Amino acid sequence: MKDPINEPREYRNDARRKMFSSSFSVTCLLVSSLAIVVLATLLLSIFSTGGGWLSAEMLTASHRENNPEESGIGQAIIGSLVICTICGLAALPIGVGTAIFLEEFKPKNRFLRMLHGLVQLNINNLAGVPSIVYGILGLTAFVYMFGAFSPIRVNDQPDYEIGATYSYQTKTLGGNYVRFPATPKIQPFFEIKQPRQVSSSEGQPFKLNVVSATTDAAEYKDKLEETVILGTKAELTSHNGVESYTTQTLGGTTVFFKAEPTYSQFAKILEPLMVSDPEGNTFELNVLSKSDAIPTNPEVLSKSVFADSPDPTKRSSASIFRENSFFHMHLPFSKSVLSAGLTLALVILPIVIIASQEAIRGVPQTLREAAFGMGATRWQVVRSAVLPSAIPGIMTGAILAMSRAVGEAAPLLAVMGGVLGTTNHLSSLMDKTPVLPVTIFKWAGDENQGFEHLAAAAIIVLLAFLLLMNSVAIFIRYRYEKKLA
Amino acid sequence: MSDQSLGQGELLAPPASPRREFRPRSSKSSKRWQAVVVTGLVFCALVSVFTTIGIIVMLVVESWGFFADDQIEIWKFLTGTKWTVGQTQGELSYGIWPLLSGTLRITGIAMMIALPMGLISAIYLSEYASKRIRSLLKPTLEILAGIPTVVLGFFAVKFITPYMLEPLGDFKTFNATSAGIAVGILCIPLVTSLAEDALQAVPNRLREGGYGLGATRLEVTLKVVVPAALSGIISAFLLALARAIGETMVVALAAGSTPTLTLDPRMPSQTMTGFIVETFKSESVVPGTLSYFSIYAVAAVLFLITFGITLIGQIIRMKYREVYD
Repeated sequence: MKDPINEPREYRNDARRKMFSSSFSVTCLLVSSLAIVVLATLLLSIFSTGGGWLSAEMLTASHRENNPEESGIGQAIIGSLVICTICGLAALPIGVGTAIFLEEFKPKNRFLRMLHGLVQLNINNLAGVPSIVYGILGLTAFVYMFGAFSPIRVNDQPDYEIGATYSYQTKTLGGNYVRFPATPKIQPFFEIKQPRQVSSSEGQPFKLNVVSATTDAAEYKDKLEETVILGTKAELTSHNGVESYTTQTLGGTTVFFKAEPTYSQFAKILEPLMVSDPEGNTFELNVLSKSDAIPTNPEVLSKSVFADSPDPTKRSSASIFRENSFFHMHLPFSKSVLSAGLTLALVILPIVIIASQEAIRGVPQTLREAAFGMGATRWQVVRSAVLPSAIPGIMTGAILAMSRAVGEAAPLLAVMGGVLGTTNHLSSLMDKTPVLPVTIFKWAGDENQGFEHLAAAAIIVLLAFLLLMNSVAIFIRYRYEKKLA
Repeated sequence: MSDQSLGQGELLAPPASPRREFRPRSSKSSKRWQAVVVTGLVFCALVSVFTTIGIIVMLVVESWGFFADDQIEIWKFLTGTKWTVGQTQGELSYGIWPLLSGTLRITGIAMMIALPMGLISAIYLSEYASKRIRSLLKPTLEILAGIPTVVLGFFAVKFITPYMLEPLGDFKTFNATSAGIAVGILCIPLVTSLAEDALQAVPNRLREGGYGLGATRLEVTLKVVVPAALSGIISAFLLALARAIGETMVVALAAGSTPTLTLDPRMPSQTMTGFIVETFKSESVVPGTLSYFSIYAVAAVLFLITFGITLIGQIIRMKYREVYD
């Protein structure tokens, strides 16, 4: 053991120790200021790359392949706003509700108490789960719904759907399009495009396997009895008194499955019928046979078609056309803004809960006690005493959580894929849309150098939007603090 | 002017009461209403439980689809050193190590930046900074924390690589270092704010005791305050580690899409998250195919690692926290 009196230098060298201390303080300051340098460099590099590309056209145009000069982020801005609205509408009530439950209703019931502890532990862990994992969850739970429904394909109607009207559309001899309503019918043939539940002629149910024509035959050589080639046609027949489709598998087994009414892809026009044009005018369609003379009056021409005939040059067949109303919905949700919004809601839910919990915890106990003293039930205390004074804190946390959601790219990429532009405007919750962060990601990786500048310009818009949201949060906090003081 | 606009009638009208009329409710009906509300709140709370259950069930079930495939052996997945899933040509190899090592390399670089810088900033903010410097540093860190990760990825690939790294040596366009630096920048605010909370929780009595013994500020900080806050600091490190491992957009932009098994930080290095994003970006994911199931297998490994680290961080914070009355 050293004796401090006999070994004075190490302990008494005041000047050296003080120098160490103050030089450490300077080092600390330098290291901390690096954060400011980094932020400044980041903002400068982005503004110098993209500042010149900001313009009114850029804010309203949509993506054009290989043409950065005319591309823009109009659709992406609207898409981001819509998805964040859905996300907020889903995450805020659930998040605040959970926080109230955790903070104000500590239950006596044993089962509920267990749930209570479990939820609290769980939320802290959920906050640490990478957002890409939420994206995969969204893909599985919302887009494909765990495979509980048959997947949705282009030009096929989903099994469970509302808000869509189907009609057949055809082109008249005058060159304009007319439509007439479609009704689902049991079709004489059924094309097998996906695995489905079938039964054998003995009534044994099993899942029919579907392989494409190019699949290596070795892969399904053990399962020939249960396998068909993609696009195999099944014929309508009556099986045990039920209208069913039947076909033979590669192994020669005859299988049956129940026939459901569907829309056929094409309809034949054989006799005059009432149609409407896209403007909503209704009139009777004039159906000409092959031998009829073609009318010369353009008015008549625009209301005439040839009857469906074997001659391909003179055939008028109508194809299926889907019109979606704003409440168009189907199961599963598939790659849509609804799936994307709900997925983002899961991402920010833990953040909303933790922020709301802190806001509720900050409400002074005296307020609660006063309300209880007036004979209020627990819920009345929460509603009329706790929530009003916790709302500013909850709002601040909610806005910060939303600003996290606006910038999230990974979950959206997983749920909607890398959409850059759509031909239609966003009209229902089942549509796809480009969003700002994904657009930035795709543009940053584009080989066309112009998109690099455009991505930087899009980043400026995104940062401006985040700044706006954060200022609102700071404003709320400031007013609230002033009120309390 | 105001004389004309104010009519006689408006002056005489009774003021509208801003309060609603108070209607007492019977205690029976308010209790019944409360039961309804509590049921609703329980359902809200169940959402987060079902989210966790959903994640775990999904990863187990769909990874099963991967490992149940005849071509896949779980042993080769865990020890293999080559990853070619999703590539159309060549032989199928599915060893996780190239992806896992990519994640570890980038996380390592990120932690070399974020841990010292975050901790020093936290010490400075908590022990040294004057009010003015604090009011400058704190918002800067908050803004840095709020910058979307895709923006940092853009910064990494368009600024850090061409202007900071390429003059230094033979760095590839996509490399582990630039991604690591960007992920490190992203983690600094997280480490700083969590570590600062831990340092500030140390009561002033301890500091005063140190000063009373004649210690300098540096000695008090390093020998009294930091050891007292160690559990909080370590849990901050662990949370930053989990965050860096799960970081997606930065590595998807800056680290490239080539899975490599190397120690060279100048080479591209695809990470686990990078592989998942690359698969989604190409839009070639068809449910039921091997590359679709491989996403879940990789995500399961990712989830196990991050969940484990978060859990350890929480346990350390709860168990080893120094409690001062």
